[in-house]
Amino acid sequence: MPGSSPGMTAEAVATRRASANTGAALWPLPPLLILAGVFFYPLSLILHQALHGDFGPTTFHYFSVVFGTAMFANALAHTIEIAAAASAGCIVLGFVVALILSFVPFPGSKLLARMIDTVIALPTFLVALAFTFIYGSAGVINMSFIHLFGFQNGPIDFLYSPWGVILAEITVYTPFVMRPLLAAFSLIDIAQIEVASSLGARPWRIIRQIIFPAALPALLAGGSLCLLLTVNEFGIVLFIGAKGVITLPLMVYDKAIQEFDYTTGCAIAVVNIVLSLALYTLYRFVLAHFGGRRAGVV
Amino acid sequence: MAVEATTLTGADAETTAAAAPAVGAASGIDFEGVSVAYKGTVVLSDLTLAINPGEIVAVIGPSGSGKTTALRAVAGFVRPSAGRVKIGGRDITDLPPYARDIGMVVQNYALFPHMRVDENVAFGLRARRTADALVKERVAECLRMVGMQSYTKRYPRELSGGQQQRVAIARALAIHPRVLLLDEPLSALDAQIRRNMLDELARLHRALPHLTVLYVTHDQTEALTLADRIAIMRDGKLVSYGPSQALYRRPPNRFTAEFLGRANLLTVTVEGRALGSYARARYGETELLVQEHPSLGAGSKCLLCIRPHEVLLSPPQGPCNTLRGIVQSTVWQGDQHHIALDAAGTTLRLISAPMHEPPRAGTVLDVHFHASHGVLIPHDEA
Amino acid sequence: MLVWSKSGKAAAWTLLALLVGGVYGLPIGMIALASIAGQWNGALPSHLTLANYSVALTGDPGAQLRVSVITGLVASSVALTLGAWAALALRNLPTLPKRALDLLFFIPSAVPSVSVGLGLLVAFSQPPMLLNGTTLIVMLAHFILISAFTYGNVSAGLSRIAPEYEQMAASLGARPAYRLWHVLLPLMRPYLLAAFSLSFALSMGELGATVMVYPPGWVTLPVGIFALTDRGDVFEGAALTMILTAATLAVLIGLSLVPNKAATR
Repeated sequence: MPGSSPGMTAEAVATRRASANTGAALWPLPPLLILAGVFFYPLSLILHQALHGDFGPTTFHYFSVVFGTAMFANALAHTIEIAAAASAGCIVLGFVVALILSFVPFPGSKLLARMIDTVIALPTFLVALAFTFIYGSAGVINMSFIHLFGFQNGPIDFLYSPWGVILAEITVYTPFVMRPLLAAFSLIDIAQIEVASSLGARPWRIIRQIIFPAALPALLAGGSLCLLLTVNEFGIVLFIGAKGVITLPLMVYDKAIQEFDYTTGCAIAVVNIVLSLALYTLYRFVLAHFGGRRAGVV
Repeated sequence: MAVEATTLTGADAETTAAAAPAVGAASGIDFEGVSVAYKGTVVLSDLTLAINPGEIVAVIGPSGSGKTTALRAVAGFVRPSAGRVKIGGRDITDLPPYARDIGMVVQNYALFPHMRVDENVAFGLRARRTADALVKERVAECLRMVGMQSYTKRYPRELSGGQQQRVAIARALAIHPRVLLLDEPLSALDAQIRRNMLDELARLHRALPHLTVLYVTHDQTEALTLADRIAIMRDGKLVSYGPSQALYRRPPNRFTAEFLGRANLLTVTVEGRALGSYARARYGETELLVQEHPSLGAGSKCLLCIRPHEVLLSPPQGPCNTLRGIVQSTVWQGDQHHIALDAAGTTLRLISAPMHEPPRAGTVLDVHFHASHGVLIPHDEA
Repeated sequence: MLVWSKSGKAAAWTLLALLVGGVYGLPIGMIALASIAGQWNGALPSHLTLANYSVALTGDPGAQLRVSVITGLVASSVALTLGAWAALALRNLPTLPKRALDLLFFIPSAVPSVSVGLGLLVAFSQPPMLLNGTTLIVMLAHFILISAFTYGNVSAGLSRIAPEYEQMAASLGARPAYRLWHVLLPLMRPYLLAAFSLSFALSMGELGATVMVYPPGWVTLPVGIFALTDRGDVFEGAALTMILTAATLAVLIGLSLVPNKAATR
């Protein structure tokens, strides 16, 4: 077909577009297939085991057995409580520290921010281990009290209650709130604050009416991320090893590895995964709602 | 240079990309009914434009006029939803950007930051697997052309804006493109550097007479300085196209008159022909002698365009007109005085050399213009 | 700029010092102290010694360090390759599939690590895919957990690279593969390095999945540390923790020092 008549135009355009599109659509396949094979497939098998046991028809029997136990209810309650409290703590601590670092700067404040950021790279159990040295029954604080004041036992025993885990998690996960906050704060036009000051607003009012609204997206994004991460946290709970403090991940570990009861472990894991995915959806929703930039994420 | 279009559609397109043409072959650019729509919004509407081989055409217009889209359609980064684009008579609409043999320079230079100047300029040649010796020679030649031969080993971040732009131009020219596309190349530069670069570009165009250049800008000074022909666009449509001088002296429509240079527009009624290619037109109570317009005969209501620097305080030689008005404002601009006066309801602006005693607001003033400076424009509104 | 008075600033900085010092300085300081402690019967340790370190670096823990580093490097390299591949592949997709796949690639980071380990056990405990008890299963676990982070980091970095560079390269005649190798990847280098660093750090500290799947011959440092502290050797555990931290930081700092020619300004 010599030349190119207008009638051929749309068709030629469509053909080229179509071939370009299939080309583009094929590239994500390899990573997708690998992910499906090593991740989604095992997850589906967990569900399968929870529904079938080692063999047998589909049944919710294993689920109901697990749900009935006090231990499971305990673990679920602890998981949610600890996660909620830790996330709240992260939000508060992260906000205060980010606020001071951004708006009452001193030489080295940037360095300090980066150092706190590096905590993300450290293993979570490090903090738990450190806590046993500080707050444990034979730790620094308690021993100081015993030696100085002659107590029988030290005054601090929160380490072996959920509060120990909560405090450790706050330490570890606050950077996840601080990082988007610092990014969001850096986007606030300093001129706004200066004008507000010149109009007579005191620091507290400025925080309330200018800084906090601008920080809200980042706080919500960081907070929901913390919720997700604390629900999944394992290392800290394991290391603190308090008898009364069991969370879902720890229970999965106990059942599967210590007791070789894979089916129960799978059932609990299913609950854990569903909870996590729900929180993940919440996190993505918060991000989408506020737009990534305002939440300080990318 | 016509090549069968059949060999260029579909998957074959990538394997039949042309080898670099012999230096000296010139190619024009043709837009044939090109439309571009993006998510329901029409960005370019049925553009038909022919650029002759070896000429510089400036496409100007306000933002959103579609001028950049037109340029990107030639480059291949925008797919027309209708119409064809041709270079040198060859239909390139379906070719990917790397097969089109074009050179491109953009507003923010886009030099590869991780490569030195010589590597940047060599990029296109290396991508075409040109022999090393030829590459070195060509890179040196192009850098000499733009005056950057002593900067070969620098990184882009060590260069100023103007220097980076020169390297970008050298990079585009190195591959012997048939066509050079410039997308607001001077907008990011300081005013002084911009003036120098404008001279540079004019000089380059003279040194490379076979290179066809499409130059997109919102600055009419650049267009008037460089272009052989100017295309004016607005809201995705071509409003006027013609040689720079003709477009300036005889704007075909209102938008062109106001966009290319400043214009005073008076609503007049044509009364009839007069001797020597003039026409008579009535403005309010005044009769004026103006340039005749072939399609605006007696009885037509239309616009009269007079440029501000052609409105004079004392009558010129030859057939001229007089208008009376009341001075509204006088503003001193250093090398000019800008005077605005109200002439029977329309504001007339004039520019004069600086005066010691400029007319004060409220005074009645007579102003004059030569008959040949009064241009009739159809009273259309698209 | 928020607080003007000297006393106000002093108060803010004191609060900051207390918070940061108490929350971060104290634990890190304590671990450091414990790592050089010989005995700790009183409020502070007595018998400061480096013996813990020398015990740690010879024998089992030395092997564990090696295991952790190797696992980290291998898992991070594979995760980086795949993550970068996915990020690049997703760029040219239309919006809806892009969002869906983006969501999908992040899910491994949302799922608890213990469950990932459990899944691997359940899935690969029988032939033909018998990985239970091999080093591969540990690498696989680490790879899954960090793949979402490499993908996320590279994705974010890609979005920061101006499209002009690629377009300019295309206009100069570079085909897609040439552009990728000579323009895009060099520009992505800082993000690739950052993604690798983060992945390596996460792998070094990974415990939840590892503890579910590790074979006796492939014990990582975190697992070793837990074993030590569980049976009471806390000081040695602290020393190993310091070593773990030091090794992680060393790699992080080393990577951040790689010169960056692609800096635009």
